[in-house]
Amino acid sequence: MIERLVRRARIALALLFAAASLAAQQRPASPLRVLTTAGGEWPSYTGDVRGSRYSPLDQINAANFGTLEVAWRFKTDALGPRPEFKLEGTPLVVGGVLYATAGTRRAVVALDAATGELLWVHSENEGERGAAAPRPLSGRGLAYWTDGRSSRVLYVTPGYRLVALDPRTGARVLAFGDSGAVDLKTGMDQVIAPDLTTGEVGFQGAPVVARDVVIIGAAFREGGTPRTYRNNKGYVRGYDVRTGKRLWIFHTIPVKGEFGYDSWLNNSADAAGNTGVWTQITVDEELGLVYLPVESPTGDYYGGHRPGNNLYGESIVCVDLRTGVRKWYFQMVHHPIWDFDLSAAPILADITVDGRAIKSVAVPTKQGLLYVFDRVTGKPVWPIEEQRVETGDVPGEWYAPTQPMPTRPRAFSRNGLTTDDLIDFTPALHAAAIAATARFKLGPIFTPPVVSKYEGPFATLALGPTNGGVNWPGGSYDPETHLLYVSASNYSPSPLGLVEPTSDVSDMNYVRGFAPPPPGTLRTGGGMEVQGLPLVKPPYGTITAIDLDKGDISWQVPHGETPDVVRNHEALRGLEIPRTGQPGSVGTLVTKTLLIAGDPQVTSSSTRARGAMLRAYDKATGREVGGVLLPAPQSGSPMTYGVNGRQYLVVAVSGGAYSGEYIAFRLPVAAAR
Amino acid sequence: MTLGARRWTRVIALLPLLAGVTASRTARLAAPLSSTVSGSSPRIDSTRTTWDSVYSDSQAKRGESRYGVLCARCHQAELGGADESPALTGGAFLGNWNGHPLSELQARIRTGMPPSSPGSFGLQDITDVVAYLLAYNGFPAGTTDLPVEEMALKGIVFVAERR
Repeated sequence: MIERLVRRARIALALLFAAASLAAQQRPASPLRVLTTAGGEWPSYTGDVRGSRYSPLDQINAANFGTLEVAWRFKTDALGPRPEFKLEGTPLVVGGVLYATAGTRRAVVALDAATGELLWVHSENEGERGAAAPRPLSGRGLAYWTDGRSSRVLYVTPGYRLVALDPRTGARVLAFGDSGAVDLKTGMDQVIAPDLTTGEVGFQGAPVVARDVVIIGAAFREGGTPRTYRNNKGYVRGYDVRTGKRLWIFHTIPVKGEFGYDSWLNNSADAAGNTGVWTQITVDEELGLVYLPVESPTGDYYGGHRPGNNLYGESIVCVDLRTGVRKWYFQMVHHPIWDFDLSAAPILADITVDGRAIKSVAVPTKQGLLYVFDRVTGKPVWPIEEQRVETGDVPGEWYAPTQPMPTRPRAFSRNGLTTDDLIDFTPALHAAAIAATARFKLGPIFTPPVVSKYEGPFATLALGPTNGGVNWPGGSYDPETHLLYVSASNYSPSPLGLVEPTSDVSDMNYVRGFAPPPPGTLRTGGGMEVQGLPLVKPPYGTITAIDLDKGDISWQVPHGETPDVVRNHEALRGLEIPRTGQPGSVGTLVTKTLLIAGDPQVTSSSTRARGAMLRAYDKATGREVGGVLLPAPQSGSPMTYGVNGRQYLVVAVSGGAYSGEYIAFRLPVAAAR
Repeated sequence: MTLGARRWTRVIALLPLLAGVTASRTARLAAPLSSTVSGSSPRIDSTRTTWDSVYSDSQAKRGESRYGVLCARCHQAELGGADESPALTGGAFLGNWNGHPLSELQARIRTGMPPSSPGSFGLQDITDVVAYLLAYNGFPAGTTDLPVEEMALKGIVFVAERR
């Protein structure tokens, strides 16, 4: 295998030198996967196809992290007709070349991984189809495939085409699909309404390729206010990486006659849509099993048009890599009405529980719960119990009487909201918070949405739905220590109010919305904050390490500098406020000794320039051991690689007035020796 | 002369009163936007900030109405954002814009929104929406509108902290 790799391309030689000099502790290459993070590369979106975001590289460590220097920066403004401010990509590195998506048209760029020099750009101008994309902009990344002889870079355009590129030139591989592309709006076992140009379906994630199969999910517009309850359906498909031929399709909403169809009462599966997979899919290449994290069915917060549990909405589904045939599934939320989409890549972890070796899959969620299963059988590693939950009173809604609750590990972020959670820096602030939330319905996880009334209840105020807990950046897993890491938002207030839409907005009975204030009154943010301060106690965001052998939280620290609005607030003068962390889910990277993640927000400080810190923690204890300043928030997940004997860290930053940029760090020359 | 231009004149007229910093401040007001893009710290000691009652209630009301039509579908009625669209309230929003002149927030909307047809919003609508964002985030209203002219907005700095 290695010999073939060397023959493949000149750049592979550079890679091997780098790998040899970098990592004395290299593991032998897996027979299934020549390219590994242990070899100094980053060949898949999460480093591997198991969701790990792990690299054993150790040149950058606790002692020298603070001395990191910018190796190069790649600004993405000119890759489309205007700058982009939402760069979420994680690059790949193979053979000394870095591949990334970037820019408003989701161009693919190849850069010299050592210098950042642009080697080639591939960009598709999809015109009206691109402009109509439900998931536009630069996307999260791409996939790399090689069989030792030929190789490909694969990505999905905003207009939902799967494109295969020659990694050496950036040109389409003409033998793949139709002149190098597969139109993903076709071959989907449904007619994408209303037409191929404007028909709503897309995908902003990175494709995953395992063995010779490329797996592609589907995404739609935000689901709080769908135009119709008869939305397009988010099926998942597998394609032959050589030909672009569709190998299989998995119906995330079962069609008549398939298992699960009767979990949609009144044949409502026929009309229901969404239920796609918009986040990262993971694969066990040895077992030949694929793990699909499925999102909510149509109507994020109202399910009256789809009575029943609604399989496979908000379920993890294990399917066969070769055939797409379902092996097992587990539904995390019955009859989803909280937008608890499975938002993060499932993480494959080979663990030892009570002396027993288990091949597990762990699924971090918006609701701050980690669901852990035997990934062969689907059996929960620790019991998951059905618990009775509140039934709401929204007209026409159907409520599941119980919901599954993991018994271990305990929640790593807030998923309900009671007055005990409200800000209490001072008694006056606590009283103000109680007053501010008086019109809201509060309660534990699974407190249902309400029809919004201005006088109250205005909405159910929840912290897990929509943007709570862990989102698309996902977590990390350390295969040596069996610790799983997640960055989670602890303060993403999500008011779940429903209103009846006018017919020009939607044909749904209810969509997300709020009762208008009395005439002449301005709608303001008063209910979500107290004098500009977050409504709840810190920490607003955390990083948590979970020991998967025990099902226990090993450590948890606030992540992110105390926001400016809190640190400098007039009502808090004279108070000692420990670091609060920041709301937001960011991607983490785990290396031989460090857990690395950037702040989700920028802050100002008297001791440094305005910006966001990229932080390193001792991965065993959570103690912060170093940091370097980023000019904007971390907006994509960090990755690492080695070239010419030096370890690099690359992270995407953007947000607010700061347009997208990839920044590469490495140690000064002396320290790298 | 528009309201915004009159205000601009007034800002300039005040400058000589600030002995010792007049020259540098004038130079900064005339400088291009690019300093923030290169990563340096924008300064926040400008003549006026978002705490100086820089918009009117009636403008915010207009802005609320335009927000409902132009922005709410993605950024949500309560400005909380969702997967594809950032929140326009709360710490991340305030932190991102802290220290930047309002001209940059206006320009960000003008050049980038809506994603399907950037550049299609009118400048008055955009400025009214900015006024609404200020109102929603708790900045005080005054008696005059936020000006639409970019040069005038360069003299008003977004300051997150309630000091």
